[in-house]
Amino acid sequence: MASVRLTEQVNKKDKMTDFLQLLLSGVATGAIYAMAALGFTLLWQAAGTINFAQGEFVMLPAFAMLIGMSFGLPLWASFIVAVALSILVLGAAFKNWIVDPMRGSGVVAVVVATLGLSIGLKSFTKAAYSAEPHPFPSIFGDEVFKLFGLTISYSDVGALVFAGVMVLGLQTFLNKTITGRAMQAVAQNTFSAEALGINVKRMIFYTFAINAILVAVTALLITPTYLAKFDMGDNIGLKAFFAAIIGGFNNSRGALLGGVLVGVLENLAGAYLSPAYKDGVALVLFMAVILVKPDGLLGTPQERKV
Amino acid sequence: METELNGSKTSARSLIEFDQVVAGYTHLTILNELTLDVRKGEITLLIGPNGAGKSTVLKTLFGMLTPRSGEVRMAGKVINGRTPRQLLGEGMAFVPQGRNLFGSLSVLHNLELGGLQLPRKVLKDRIEEVMVQFPRLRERINSRAASLSGGEQKQLEIGRALLVRPEVLLIDEPSIGLAPIIVQDVMQLLRRLADSGKSVLMVEQNVRTALKYSDRALALEMGTLALDKPAAELLNDPNLNRLFLGGHAKK
Repeated sequence: MASVRLTEQVNKKDKMTDFLQLLLSGVATGAIYAMAALGFTLLWQAAGTINFAQGEFVMLPAFAMLIGMSFGLPLWASFIVAVALSILVLGAAFKNWIVDPMRGSGVVAVVVATLGLSIGLKSFTKAAYSAEPHPFPSIFGDEVFKLFGLTISYSDVGALVFAGVMVLGLQTFLNKTITGRAMQAVAQNTFSAEALGINVKRMIFYTFAINAILVAVTALLITPTYLAKFDMGDNIGLKAFFAAIIGGFNNSRGALLGGVLVGVLENLAGAYLSPAYKDGVALVLFMAVILVKPDGLLGTPQERKV
Repeated sequence: METELNGSKTSARSLIEFDQVVAGYTHLTILNELTLDVRKGEITLLIGPNGAGKSTVLKTLFGMLTPRSGEVRMAGKVINGRTPRQLLGEGMAFVPQGRNLFGSLSVLHNLELGGLQLPRKVLKDRIEEVMVQFPRLRERINSRAASLSGGEQKQLEIGRALLVRPEVLLIDEPSIGLAPIIVQDVMQLLRRLADSGKSVLMVEQNVRTALKYSDRALALEMGTLALDKPAAELLNDPNLNRLFLGGHAKK
């Protein structure tokens, strides 16, 4: 009888350990989704742009880092090069050559253009590099450590810390610096910002540049799990998009909440229901939230001029 | 001393001049060779039916629209093609129509954004000046702008524009969404500014109230100047209602 009770206690403890491990790795994955989702919300707020090529924007820096490493650069140096290229191509060129010419034609034109861009980038990468998945090293290594009975990987902790620092740093920049507040001003009311002499074009470029940095960091953190493949952005782009809507498309904090919720719940669903359901969690959560709270969990209704 | 400028009277006190200005949006011409002036130390009220070009005058003057032809001058200098940022530096400020605050930012941060061009120390002193002028803003300094009442928001918008100590204040529909008592406060504030030597160019649909506080009224029709009269005179003019409702003015 005593041994049965002991076995039950051990099982209960194991279950709790499993749950906590799933929770931790879910938060780590969610924090990575949150960064890509944050990019969605920033571009929407500052430039009225929904970037359906956001997933491919994550894929490109991953390949840039692979190419850098193939030339003998260490991962960290390849990452720095990828960030610089990302700001140039996914920030400046994307803004100047695709979004700016389209903005006058409304949000649908930008959506269609970014959908086309998404297909084009995937096809280009497939043709120019390869259709095969390529292993990608984790900057934090593959080792694990034990803490209070939990088996924790350095890559999970590293991703969580890295993403946390990025997000907190961004929030601090946006809220505590005059440039960050000017960016918020442009996002909230472009016309008034212009009337105050704020350099609207520069602030919008900064937003695109921040998104470019966010996708490069997302690539660094998520590619060891997803592997570098031309279509790796499909999943991450979709989940980040859902996360942004779940949290509230016009609220940066909402993107964080949405990302973490998606990361945690898909991890739990994959373990306790079936791995087959894992990728559907974001969609189910998305539908549930927009039915109950169409503006997202932290979003606010927006005025629309008619 | 008054002189003729392409058929319209301008005065030696003219601070702003529109000389045969043509301006508009992509395929739409709104201002048709418009000639008018705004004088120093006066409130000039721009009236006219919807689409007459009132707000377009303000946007053109403040560099948000570039004139296709004609000249816009400030203190005798041609300012065509200047950016809002440059014009702020030259002593012009603009309070656009509607809600112009950044709702999620605090009162203090909204004020700071109004003086981005100023050195940090100067900006701090100017914010202090604004708070002396608008004590209510001091009480709400750390509140989010969205949480202010309509009157407080308008005070903040005007106070923010005054940070650069403009010689000319352009203000579009300041009474929109405000209770009548607050409208009086806003008008009195603009009157005090004009009495202190600033020039105010105001677009306002609440014509009767605005005329009481203005020095001069300019009525626009189809992008041209249809009438230029002292405000007090126009207040008793039988043409006033017809003008405001889109009728034709008797010159």
